[in-house]
Amino acid sequence: MASTSQFLASLARLSISSAPRPAASSIPRFLAPSRGKGKKEKLKRKRRQQRFKEYKYAVPTGNGEQFSLCDAMRYLRAAEVGRPPSSVTYEVALKVRTIKNGPVIRNRIRFPYPVKNDTRIGVICPEGSNAMHDARTGGAVAFGEQSMFDLIKKNANNLPFNRLICHTDSVSALNKAGLGRVLGPKGLMPSLKTNTITKSVKTMMHEMVGAETYREKIGVIRIPIGNIQFSPKQLSENVKTFIESIKADISRMEDRVDKDIIEVVLTSTNGPGFTLNGGFLPTDEKVDPAHLATAM
Amino acid sequence: MVNPGKRMNILKTLLNLRHGPGAAILPPEISRLHMDFALRWNDGHMGPRKFWKTCLPRLKFWNPAVPMIINRSSNNAGPATLSIYFRQAAAAAAGPTTPAGSAPKVNFITPLAQQPHSSTANECPAPPPEEGERVVTIEMKHQHSDAILQDFLQKTGATVLQPSPDELNEMRQAEDLKDRAAIDRSIMKKYIDDKRAEERLLARAREEAEAIRLANQ
Repeated sequence: MASTSQFLASLARLSISSAPRPAASSIPRFLAPSRGKGKKEKLKRKRRQQRFKEYKYAVPTGNGEQFSLCDAMRYLRAAEVGRPPSSVTYEVALKVRTIKNGPVIRNRIRFPYPVKNDTRIGVICPEGSNAMHDARTGGAVAFGEQSMFDLIKKNANNLPFNRLICHTDSVSALNKAGLGRVLGPKGLMPSLKTNTITKSVKTMMHEMVGAETYREKIGVIRIPIGNIQFSPKQLSENVKTFIESIKADISRMEDRVDKDIIEVVLTSTNGPGFTLNGGFLPTDEKVDPAHLATAM
Repeated sequence: MVNPGKRMNILKTLLNLRHGPGAAILPPEISRLHMDFALRWNDGHMGPRKFWKTCLPRLKFWNPAVPMIINRSSNNAGPATLSIYFRQAAAAAAGPTTPAGSAPKVNFITPLAQQPHSSTANECPAPPPEEGERVVTIEMKHQHSDAILQDFLQKTGATVLQPSPDELNEMRQAEDLKDRAAIDRSIMKKYIDDKRAEERLLARAREEAEAIRLANQ
């Protein structure tokens, strides 16, 4: 070992006493590359910069890479055979062309065929108000103002609800209670941004039951879209509703930022992903869409 | 989401979902399949598990209308059986024009929520045969999945599918891609290993130099 380390040491010393750094050379001005002043080049550079600001994407070329809904379902049902249907869902990943630092798409959606229905809503509203009455009749699991704050503080890790909405009259009380630390990480803190502060508790609750929230992350929106036992028709309606809702969101943001849908990928809990081509019928005419709705 | 080119290479494995052991078309008189075995593989429950994982997806792909229910329990001492439900000749003759279309008819009578479904908590044991049905069972305990498949094919009289020349070609390409990937990986590993070794050497040299400098002071 000693010999190698000695050798290394000498080597290191050699490399340390390197030649002095060359002084900054001055290139004559006429030899330096001229800056492109043309308009065309400027535009090109801008476009390149714009591209750099966007999340990367690649458009499917369409030669055998895209599938009709029934084909994709056939593969996915084969991949999920023998799994308990309660633990398997169809999911959709929607790739969007978007800049990295712009506003993101985020909204709630009500599917014609809800995926699962375990929404339990808590309502923060002034005690004894009309809103409280609405919450009680609407089937909220917890409601009130001070009693709710106590409840949240006491068993923060075992809350009876998984959605929380707030009446506009209680917002100041909520902000004073300082629950942001408890509710924030759970994503339950009511705010205007998440569209959970309302004047009408009744309509908001009706909207929320069976509704799913989605948001864009790194240029993709993912959402569970159906139970594995859904028929192709049910699933297609859910997909259609979802895409329409996204398109509406995009057109609403048009003045601030422009986004495009690039591809729609159908997948399942344990299955591969299939880019949809918008078609419905299976390519194999021996398979009827009704065959894709049998018990799993 | 991975880019489409990359994902396409993964989708090549869809061929695996179509062709391989278990790619067979069942005769129309088979109404459903039911498998019953344990969650864990001890005591001879490995064969059924492998049959489920390797063969059943292909069977399901080629016979999408046939319900295939898997009921697993935590009881390893229990039996591992595969039940094949045959429609009797009279029932099968009822819909001879659309043999494939008539397959799920039996199960459309009851709503989907009440039908037996796959379970990991022994919720849906093999149902008794309905009227005009006959059951054939295969004992799967302590059996290899290949043996189970052979027995299954023989008892059902299924027609085994062979990949077409095009698909064979595609399979070969996928295989080539895999080999090429292995070579590329080894090249990359060597490059990274060399780089790391060099870095280590330099770091050690720098340390020694520092030590000598301190000693000289």
